Amino acid sequence: MVTHEDVRKIAKLAKLEVEESELDGLTKDMNEIISFADTIASVNADDEGYSDPNDLENVLREDIIQPSLSQDEVLANAKDTDGSSFVVSQHA
Amino acid sequence: MKSFSKIKSIQKRLTAKECSCVELTQQYLNGIGQKNEKLNAYTCITAETALDTAKKVDEKIARGEALGPIEGVPMTLKANISTRGLETNCCSKILQGYKPVYDATVWKLLKEQGAVLLGKSNMDEFAMGSSCETSCYGGAKNPHDLSRVAGGSSGGAASAVSSGLAAYGIGSDTGGSIRQPASFCGIVGLKPTYGAVSRYGLIAYASSFDQIGPLTTCSEDAALLFDILSKKDACDSTSVGACHASVPALQQSLEGKRIGVAAEYFDGLREGVQAALDDAGRVYEKLGAKLVPLSIPEIRYALPVYYILACAEASSNLSRYDGIRYGMKAEHYTGVNDMIEKTRSAGFGKEVKHRILLGTYVLSAGYYDAYYKKAQLLRRQIRKAFTAAFTQCDFLLAPTVPMTAFPLGFTSQDAVETYQTDICTVPVNIVGLPAVSVPCGTDENKMPVGMQLIGNTGREDVILNAAYQYELKTRT
Repeated sequence: MVTHEDVRKIAKLAKLEVEESELDGLTKDMNEIISFADTIASVNADDEGYSDPNDLENVLREDIIQPSLSQDEVLANAKDTDGSSFVVSQHA
Repeated sequence: MKSFSKIKSIQKRLTAKECSCVELTQQYLNGIGQKNEKLNAYTCITAETALDTAKKVDEKIARGEALGPIEGVPMTLKANISTRGLETNCCSKILQGYKPVYDATVWKLLKEQGAVLLGKSNMDEFAMGSSCETSCYGGAKNPHDLSRVAGGSSGGAASAVSSGLAAYGIGSDTGGSIRQPASFCGIVGLKPTYGAVSRYGLIAYASSFDQIGPLTTCSEDAALLFDILSKKDACDSTSVGACHASVPALQQSLEGKRIGVAAEYFDGLREGVQAALDDAGRVYEKLGAKLVPLSIPEIRYALPVYYILACAEASSNLSRYDGIRYGMKAEHYTGVNDMIEKTRSAGFGKEVKHRILLGTYVLSAGYYDAYYKKAQLLRRQIRKAFTAAFTQCDFLLAPTVPMTAFPLGFTSQDAVETYQTDICTVPVNIVGLPAVSVPCGTDENKMPVGMQLIGNTGREDVILNAAYQYELKTRT
């Protein structure tokens, strides 16, 4: 059973604010979805260790320097920069 | 070879000089101008660059040069596929104004081939939804009935292709997001094998499920586009390319093919959907194929497994939206954490927040084993069950959705009930198999029904061959 307190805690972990007015609705929805997810909790599944479900294997390449984005391109979409770094003020 | 190809018919008109590519593109743009306000299929229109590309195609034709297989054909890209310098916002407030500094590999491939991009198409926010209605622009509407949804999440592309506002669309499918809207709008939608098409530049929802594919008016166009897009790409370490080219396989006879019909897909279908699927089965028998009844009981775990794993991956993928590097940023805050929280809370819509919260919950200490780990183990079991099914058949026949397009607003009423409409589409995303939705008639309200042909790993050629043979037999 998911409680208001659980939702507040998860929201904190996910860096989301939850308004008091949203809490009832969110808790109800979460409970519905979690009880739906619970349908697999009692199913037996052998623990064979993790392996990729699509049978893909790691693809590795030689460690050779390749062209990448320029500093200007990397900063192009940021709201605040000083021309060479992302800027995050303590207050705004 | 009889052809229903929109792409080929357009190219024929261009090379026969019935119209220029600029005129053709302008016709499409005019159509968008007239119909888009009602359909809400496009969220951004790129008239200028479309006409520039068209002009280059005309110059090529004037020089007497042959066109590439999709050159000069107007199309649309889903709003989560990166286009350099052109806003790519996933229909989310949090990415308003974001202009990628690089092209997605699929767009790079299409651009090299001379594709004419008409604009970006509407989608559920971050591809999370089955109706397109979680888009920050409101949902795309169904051209067959404007009071119904186009489906989701690639609803805009489906609506545009179905109403003739694009010759084809490129979408993404994480749990049915290409096939379900294709089914609702009466067009073809292909979700390729996981890894066949590069995901580089596709803004991630759930990385082990996401796959890019085409939405088209016929299976031949889907095959043509699949063959162009399924290239191994060094920028996506999960990319493997195609195992088999699909266009050369279209003509093959279905004589003696075994079509698996798994009972689990046919549970609780609406009457009109069941009847259309029964008819489709009979068409295949007439084509010489044999229907093989079988059972894949593990399908009953598919929905909870999908929602647990996809939400877990989403909660991780979407943690990158912190207001610092791209997208919106809160204007007033009292510290770095407060800025991130305020940005995310204002930027994400309700459904996205729900899925992030669910994903965070199933990954949190104390719940990880019961949910996330259990779901991963069951994912293996489901995979084994499908592998076993393919020892008995060449491909599977199933409905794409248990119902036809639902009325606008339906999905906001009950979270679990909405998720359950995805029962027929999510299994292949869990196990990475290819599947195509093909129109197979209409229900009592004249709304399109889609059938789903599911292939073994890397066998797009088999399902597109079956789709094409069905069209040959049933289309006029």
